[in-house]
Amino acid sequence: MKIVIFGGTPGSGKTSTIKFIIQELKDLKIHYVKFDVLNTDDDLLIKQKFGISTENKISGEACPDHYAALEIPKIIEEHKDKDLIIIETAGLCLRCSPYVNEGLAVNVLNILAGKPSGYGPLLTDADVIVVSKGDLISQAEREIFRSKILEVNKNALIIDGNGLTGEGAIDVAEKIKESKEVKGTLTLKNSMPTGICGYCYGNKILSSEETLKRYNQGKELKARIPNLNCGKCGFKSCNEFIRAVLDKKSEESKCPYIKNKN
Amino acid sequence: MKIKNISILPGYNKKKEKESKKKIEILEGQKIGIVGHTGSGKSQLLYDIEKLAYGETKTKRKILINGEKPDKNLKTDPTIKIIGYLTQHMNFMTDTTVYDFLKIHIITRGKHNTKEETEKIIEKVITEANKITGEEIKKETNLLILSGGQSRALMIADLAYISESPIILIDEIENAGIKIKQALEILIKKGKIIFLVTHDPLLALDTDKRFIMKNGGISKVIHTSIREKGIANYLAWINEYMLDLREEIREGEKINELKLICTPTGAKE
Repeated sequence: MKIVIFGGTPGSGKTSTIKFIIQELKDLKIHYVKFDVLNTDDDLLIKQKFGISTENKISGEACPDHYAALEIPKIIEEHKDKDLIIIETAGLCLRCSPYVNEGLAVNVLNILAGKPSGYGPLLTDADVIVVSKGDLISQAEREIFRSKILEVNKNALIIDGNGLTGEGAIDVAEKIKESKEVKGTLTLKNSMPTGICGYCYGNKILSSEETLKRYNQGKELKARIPNLNCGKCGFKSCNEFIRAVLDKKSEESKCPYIKNKN
Repeated sequence: MKIKNISILPGYNKKKEKESKKKIEILEGQKIGIVGHTGSGKSQLLYDIEKLAYGETKTKRKILINGEKPDKNLKTDPTIKIIGYLTQHMNFMTDTTVYDFLKIHIITRGKHNTKEETEKIIEKVITEANKITGEEIKKETNLLILSGGQSRALMIADLAYISESPIILIDEIENAGIKIKQALEILIKKGKIIFLVTHDPLLALDTDKRFIMKNGGISKVIHTSIREKGIANYLAWINEYMLDLREEIREGEKINELKLICTPTGAKE
């Protein structure tokens, strides 16, 4: 089984690029997964168009990339019979990107959206970079943009793409076919940033005292639950549950594993 | 890289019929028009040429360069990329001056040898661009405030003197604000092959041959007659007359006379 993970900022053309790529890979048995934060119907549209198996995963309160990292092993386990798993990430954060050590990492990069040096692992860890919307600017600028990408990621294959005409899809499809089957245990290419503070636990007040207070409350609660993300409390992740408890929208007792305060 | 000719080995149209019996050959310095209705396959043909397709695109066309299958590097390495592309929606987006922009592009292209040489190329690009637009481009002008005509003129001059791609694809470029015939002459002078998708009679008749597109395939190849080239010259004269009028009106002049007698472009006094 092969796995390909697509990352890219919202509106860069990930979904439309993927549609053209699926068309080029008709012979393969494909499973497509769309990660998003609030809502998506991309999975249904792709299912309708190509008749392949698809699903969506909504992260809700959790960071969509952290959530994807937790879900990818499950997806692989459930779809062992497929030739290829295509994962489209929500693409919100430039710092996190759930590219893994095996398979193929593809970044769809909107040429109109700023300098390549402003992107983190999303761009620098990609194996293939599809530059989209290049038809809107001069060839000279496309060439300059390309050399700027190479300054931060000299190993990537850079492909000119177009989500309207399907330009570049053949080349990405070719690269997917060449990519190796997934064998070992997957690990992240890049560690994700530390992001636990009072705001992560749901504080809304712009003050360091308030956020420290919330952080300590969250930390205390976190120490008493097993962080299984089992979902029995009705929330997708333990963090989401902690926030709900601190916001008084849920109760500690909803967690079946919680230890009592000493 | 020296391009002597390009051959298009016929593929299939949307009805799965072979589009032509024999291969189509285009020689160095030729201008090819691509005409047809929306959805007839014009852009796909440009795409096949840009990709240097070899049976992998949906039309199954094959493109040969100098009679041979093109090397894979030609497709991916931009410093030796042989194909330049100009489309109607193109704009500049970099917030910098014309001078700095051209300089960065020269460096990117690996052509920055001495300071004097670079200065000379920049000078040349701006001079040539100004020959094809009615509104003067200055080197300290910011790219973002160039008009549509100035932008197109600068892109064309850049393609001719910095990119130096031997094959140029032009997708429905508007001729408003530029002397399109002169622009194409600048490109052709550098020994280039030009493919031109157009709905404009002036451009379509100012070619060596034109492909008539239907149902996704090349349905006919017409060699431009001498009579047609004459008509193209007349249309080019009208286009320039329009540009002159535009400039005069902008200068606040009153237009009292209608010029009716035309002289072929180039021989104009």
